[in-house]
Amino acid sequence: MTRFLTKLIVALAVLAGAMLASIAFGSHPTSFGDVLDVLSSTADPNVATVIESRYPRTALGVLAGVCLAVAGTLMQGVTRNPLADPGLLGVTAGASAAIVTSIAFLGMSGDAVWWALPGGLLAGLLVHVIGSSGGGSGVARLVLAGAVVSAVLTAYVQAVTLSLPKVFDSYRYWVVGALGGRGFDVLTSVLPVAVAGLLLAAVLGSGLNTLALGEESAAALGANPGLTRALGMLAAVLLSTAATAAVGPIAFVGLAVPHIARWPAGSDSRAQLLFSALVGPALLLLADVVGRLVLAPTELMVGVVTAFVGAPALLLAVRRMKAAA
Amino acid sequence: MKIATRNLTISYGGAPVVGDLTLDIPEGEFTMIIGPNGCGKSTLVKALGRVLKPDSGTVELDGRDLWSYRGREAARKVALLPQNPVAPEGITVSGLVRRGRYPHHTLLRQWSRDDEGAIAAALERTGLSELADAQAGQLSGGQRQRAWIAMVLAQQTGLLLLDEPTTFLDISHQYELLELCRDLHDEGRTIVAVLHDLNQAARFATHLIVMNGGTVVAQGPPSRIVTTELVRDVFGLACDVLPDPRTATPMVVPHAGRVATAP
Amino acid sequence: MIRVPIARRAVAVAAGLVVLLLAAGVATLTLGRLGLSLADLTSWPPTGKSKFVLERLRGPRLVVAAGVGAALGLSGALFQNVTRNPLGSPDVIGLSTGAGAGAAIAALLFPGVVPTPAGALAGAVAAMALVYFSTGTGFRHPGRLIVAGIGVYAIGTAIIQYVVYAVERDKASVLTAYVNGSLNTRSWEQAATIWVVLLAVVPFVMLLSRRLTMSELGDELAAGLGAEPQRTRVAAVVLAIVLSAGAVAVAGPISFIALTAPQIARRLTRLPGPHLTLSALTGALLLVLADLAAQQAPIPVSLPVGIYTLALGGLYLGYLLIREWKKGTL
Repeated sequence: MTRFLTKLIVALAVLAGAMLASIAFGSHPTSFGDVLDVLSSTADPNVATVIESRYPRTALGVLAGVCLAVAGTLMQGVTRNPLADPGLLGVTAGASAAIVTSIAFLGMSGDAVWWALPGGLLAGLLVHVIGSSGGGSGVARLVLAGAVVSAVLTAYVQAVTLSLPKVFDSYRYWVVGALGGRGFDVLTSVLPVAVAGLLLAAVLGSGLNTLALGEESAAALGANPGLTRALGMLAAVLLSTAATAAVGPIAFVGLAVPHIARWPAGSDSRAQLLFSALVGPALLLLADVVGRLVLAPTELMVGVVTAFVGAPALLLAVRRMKAAA
Repeated sequence: MKIATRNLTISYGGAPVVGDLTLDIPEGEFTMIIGPNGCGKSTLVKALGRVLKPDSGTVELDGRDLWSYRGREAARKVALLPQNPVAPEGITVSGLVRRGRYPHHTLLRQWSRDDEGAIAAALERTGLSELADAQAGQLSGGQRQRAWIAMVLAQQTGLLLLDEPTTFLDISHQYELLELCRDLHDEGRTIVAVLHDLNQAARFATHLIVMNGGTVVAQGPPSRIVTTELVRDVFGLACDVLPDPRTATPMVVPHAGRVATAP
Repeated sequence: MIRVPIARRAVAVAAGLVVLLLAAGVATLTLGRLGLSLADLTSWPPTGKSKFVLERLRGPRLVVAAGVGAALGLSGALFQNVTRNPLGSPDVIGLSTGAGAGAAIAALLFPGVVPTPAGALAGAVAAMALVYFSTGTGFRHPGRLIVAGIGVYAIGTAIIQYVVYAVERDKASVLTAYVNGSLNTRSWEQAATIWVVLLAVVPFVMLLSRRLTMSELGDELAAGLGAEPQRTRVAAVVLAIVLSAGAVAVAGPISFIALTAPQIARRLTRLPGPHLTLSALTGALLLVLADLAAQQAPIPVSLPVGIYTLALGGLYLGYLLIREWKKGTL
């Protein structure tokens, strides 16, 4: 138990460090010392403004990181496929389609989050319903259902954006996931969805443990594998929609963090969920800090950074796959 | 058709599964290879079938390195039926058997006149002539295994290698298949099969190879080599070895279980 | 006597596909505002308007569509045979995305210097090289191939999105259209390119086809039969990549043809085998039809054909899903 506690404290410390870094560093140079000054209200008002402007994006980073990482862990646990990713669920395509529709046909502008949220949820639930109805193992069907919904919605999005330049302009900024330029109001509007997903995930931990033994063993242990899988998917949809609506599509956090979290957490799904929720935001915030610094004074969006950090890591990991695979 | 290994070593991920093995497979015998799980028996058969390449040492076919043959040339001499062959979706029984003719074709001659005869003979030999147009996917377990045997028969080789051919069959089909193998051997083929069941092996094999830890620990006619000591040393099982009441071949009777008391 | 029903059915399906392809070709040339009448088509040599339409407007476009479709269908058939994955196509290992990223980089860093198709080809080659080297075993293990593909796909997508974000709107819009795959304003040079690639690759595919048939039996049995499955696999992947890269170079990354054509071909014959010829014909037919839709759709803007294939492909996958669902096999 004490070893577990040590790991937990280390993970928390890393997360705290990442949050501090996210507040302290940016395209406008400031330091940890400035942060302390701001916290003790002794800072230059200009510096204070710069630092305070980083609060919402840090908070958003934490939220999106937790959501994506936990959604990924759920997906991988439920499908027992180590490459499962929340992106398979059609959430991104649904959110995109809703945003594009709102701008093109309903004359909306700006506040994408109010459309991304129901759009993502609807698409995710649609995939979920198509993919899990009629019993059966459902995982292959789920992936196929995700591909169907994504393809059709993406075709729609592309058709609309290429026909209407104004829509294209807003869309191309949204589709690169970024933490910057968003306020606390975005956070509050996705928070209920995120919390619902997290609560569901917390309840499902031990169910996932039985599912890891295979469908039949899980049933033999008295668990309800079908229900666990359905609720796990639902939670994953809620969480990844919350994240996508808040900050746009971000690659690789959902895929990679569960693998990193498995390292301190071992094989217990509950510990994996917990550590994912700590590692995910830390990783996302660090990626965002990197994105602010590499191209300073302009910024690289966090979605681009995660792809460029995550993909090479994945490519290196391929070499260690079993020869038979 | 002479096949043998010379200092053969094969490893999976670093650890040798077959180590420095020199072995002659006797010609014209029905050889069965037995041994505990992980002893290297499947690996050996795959090496003989030119599926696994040796890390060092050689497999020799008629005195020549097996890997110096071209693929199809070797496949005209040695046929291998692996443990889990895959039947393509939608294929008929005769279509499946036809695939066994591949080694006899060349780039320019993609159909040979002997094909039809070889396929018909193989179907006939395995009792599947009636089912030639049936979907392979709809056969029963016993029929499907016979269809695979027919496929390797259509290859028309003097040597047949079978990797656990009875694994997924129920007991009556296990014996049906073993009898088919025995008949094929009686017709003059050399057969090598990996088997799990000691008693079946002792009943049907004319030559037994016992492997443990990647090497051969005993070989010879079953009646000579299957002993209480061998079973204890290789499998770690205490047993008596009695003559089989029906065939007089050695029969392993384990000690495990409760001794019956007189009522 | 053992009959060979395989050949007859496959030949019938192939003949049907050829007829449909010809019909779709005629429709492409005759429909719409600038369409020719059947009399124009049969009068040779063409003159005036029909000369313009045939030689400049729709002729090359049709020939490119058929060639690209055939190349993609064949490429998908090779790839699916090798990976034994019905969703396999060179797109899965990041070829199209790599091509898109190459085009994007060319447009961002060397505007007007490097032609977009050259950038796309370079991107496709770079993506495949990245996959090849990062697996550590080349193209030998399908599992590794796909995982490496996910990584390369993500990098490519990030590059495209960043460039689309960073450049000005009109340029971004042109780039996005290209990245979807388009057949607008194709020339005879492009038609020649794709057909030369096809003609160069097809003999090798024919040499390989018997071995591919054997690979369906699983690696061990194929090896036992002397069909050298591992070498076959590497060769098939290389040929599939060459075909896809050729298609990308002339039409941009068109999605879903490589994926659906072999699946449709397989369902048309209901026979085992890699269905190489039929996949090529199906691919050609699909793309010609999609392009016909792109040209004749009653909407004010001309959308790239890739959007139609995306929608059609999605609907086809949906059909597949419902079918398997009813059969209860999924």
